[in-house]
Amino acid sequence: MGRRITIGALALSALAPFVILGVWSLGDHWFFPALLPGALTADSWRAVLNGRLAAAVATSGAVAIATAAVSCGIGLPIGHAVARLDGSRRHIAMALAFLPVAAPPIALGLGLQYGFVQLGLGGTIAGVIAAHVVPATSFLVIYFAGVFTALDRRIEDEARSLGATPRQVWTRITLPIIRRPIGDALALGFLVSWAQVPLTLVIGGGIVRTLPLAVYDYLRSGEARYAATGALLLTVPPVLALLAARRERVAPL
Amino acid sequence: VKLAWLVAMPVMIGVLYAAAGALGLIGLDAHGFTTAHLARVLGDPSTWRGIAWSLATAAVATAAATVVSAGLAVGFRGTRLGDRLARALAAVPLPMPHLVAATLGVLVLGQSGLLARIAYALRLIRQPADMPALVLDPLGLGYMATMAWKEIPFLTVVAIAVLATRGTRLEEAARTLGATPADTLRRVTLPVLWRGLAPASIAGAIVIAGGFEGAYLLAPSRPLALPLLTYDRYRSIDLARRADAYVLVLLGFALALIAVVALEWVRSRWDVE
Repeated sequence: MGRRITIGALALSALAPFVILGVWSLGDHWFFPALLPGALTADSWRAVLNGRLAAAVATSGAVAIATAAVSCGIGLPIGHAVARLDGSRRHIAMALAFLPVAAPPIALGLGLQYGFVQLGLGGTIAGVIAAHVVPATSFLVIYFAGVFTALDRRIEDEARSLGATPRQVWTRITLPIIRRPIGDALALGFLVSWAQVPLTLVIGGGIVRTLPLAVYDYLRSGEARYAATGALLLTVPPVLALLAARRERVAPL
Repeated sequence: VKLAWLVAMPVMIGVLYAAAGALGLIGLDAHGFTTAHLARVLGDPSTWRGIAWSLATAAVATAAATVVSAGLAVGFRGTRLGDRLARALAAVPLPMPHLVAATLGVLVLGQSGLLARIAYALRLIRQPADMPALVLDPLGLGYMATMAWKEIPFLTVVAIAVLATRGTRLEEAARTLGATPADTLRRVTLPVLWRGLAPASIAGAIVIAGGFEGAYLLAPSRPLALPLLTYDRYRSIDLARRADAYVLVLLGFALALIAVVALEWVRSRWDVE
């Protein structure tokens, strides 16, 4: 009995958010205490295609793709190096790598803002990407450290002892083995940027308007319909990533 | 280790800039070295109230989420259909961004939100004002509930993994040696679970305490949570007060550093098995 109730509560917690956001994204003339909207309209969804939300979606997507690529390029070699450490040095390295994630994002943003403005990056897309790369790289170093710790390093050592140069080991051995983790890492980097708020707010200075910032503005100005539509869009990439990860786990290695 | 410093470098740079800003060396209204900002912020009760509020709400939300997650992991660890269904459902909200969770918090818990409308339909309240304030309330009830809900999927996934990888073998050993199921749960399962969950819980609490979007939409304006207080000072109309934000930035970094050291310490103590 208790189990059934728990499963019911879990189902509610899993599915209700999508239903609630979905109804809210369509609801018109919907005032307290009505349980359901008085009318339905798809204007907020039309705005995704060619209106107020379209530009925000495009900006967010471009920033997230660039962030994923750059942070993966930096995070992979560093994660590889961290995985080769052991004992206390490994813990120190992991703590350092974790620091940008643990630091309050608003503190990180304000700490970096002055330098970014001096470099001419304040209020620019490049600046926002550079700021997003900081926590994204941090996540990816931790991720790749895990991947390379699980990877049998003797394979690489074997190749070296058979005369392969370090570059050959990378291109012929290591990279082919970790092709799938690289895909996962790109997705992770994308998601870190996709949902980012405070760094965009501070470094972008209100000029770079990503989807999360648009959702904020709508929520604060009482435009719940647009906020709900934006929030639903925000869940699309992470949900796709989760589904892909599940499928991968089921597939034979 | 050298390369790891590279990852932490933006934080270091941030600390340096913030320190320079806090001491009046750089910034919009900098007039050279001064400790006025430090003294003002450190002497301001709202600084400490903000820190205390952020830490307390993060701790309560995380503690609640940890208990629920541990319960779910222990209760649904089997291979029956219900177990697998429960585990799958529990993980669904996992990828939801904090901002989306906060948006839901506003739409559901607000005084004219879904919960209030349901209460009206059930004739429990007659107008929005009858609904207890759960959003922007001083206690942060809606904030904590939303953050806990956001944490549960993550902690549950970790708890299930911990039980699957470390729990089963030890439990079987305990049972073989004659422990009762209740003893096994109390002396084997829960301690194993706690050791595996503690680092994840600490990490979750760090993210919530420093998090911006949830607090921005759900937390009260009095006391102002530390991230909000920092942002508020940074946007102050009084230019002379903007440098106060840098002092708060330094405090935020200091708290994060303490938390990370604690986290790695817990890991280094318990990793060896």
